[in-house]
Amino acid sequence: MLKCREVVHEADQFLSDDLPWHRRSRFKIHLIICKHCSRYFRQFKALKDATPSMHKKASDEEVTKVMDAIDD
Amino acid sequence: MIDNIDWAALKTGDKTQFSTLVRDHHRALIALATPIVGFSEAEEVVQIAWVKAYKAIATFEGKSKIRTWLSRIVINEAKMQLRARKKETLFSDLAGDDSNGDALEDRFAANGHWATPPATWHYDSPEALLMSDDLAQCLDRILTAMPHNQRAILEMRDSSELPFEEICNNLSITASNARVLLHRARAHLFKLVDHYQETGEC
Repeated sequence: MLKCREVVHEADQFLSDDLPWHRRSRFKIHLIICKHCSRYFRQFKALKDATPSMHKKASDEEVTKVMDAIDD
Repeated sequence: MIDNIDWAALKTGDKTQFSTLVRDHHRALIALATPIVGFSEAEEVVQIAWVKAYKAIATFEGKSKIRTWLSRIVINEAKMQLRARKKETLFSDLAGDDSNGDALEDRFAANGHWATPPATWHYDSPEALLMSDDLAQCLDRILTAMPHNQRAILEMRDSSELPFEEICNNLSITASNARVLLHRARAHLFKLVDHYQETGEC
């Protein structure tokens, strides 16, 4: 029986299709029967998808500096 | 991220389009370069990388995301800077930092099941999840305090979306070591967002 702690550790490998089939099915079954892990996994995935946009846009000054370097 | 770029124009060297690209990705590239070369050098590395990216933009084929393509140019430039500074091993200071362990470990009972399960988060889309200004400030603080090796892997994997193998090669670390570091970095973020969602503060 897979433990919740292991679900948290294996979530990334599950998402990137990097688990052997028996561990993959164990993972899937656990998500069906454990509502906490199912919530964790859904929110973990949302956080991962949000990470590329965690950086703010550059300021006008920063953009101008780069564009000036390109013009040189 | 909303795709507001005219790709055909960009590939012919249109500077208005290119400046949009700079606006969207510059901060992420600085964050990528910082754990590798240090904050003081990161800006110069990224500046040079932008000039190279502009010259090469016609060769971007769209096989990877543009952020990933730009990140590879930044990492190459960062490696060249390290070599120029005659650092013998790349990322040597990134290797064995074991401080700052697993932020979620105390959420589990001894039997491995949740003792304090995650809160239910409210958000309309993944993008909206990190948009609040309050949360952005907490996020900045936690990212700045993160050990360099965790931060480097988090930026490479989750922001630049580089393949896992490529990251291990870049950092000269084993896959299992990389997994541990990545897990720790994400656990910090998860704990922060979870707490923020539950209490409205960091």
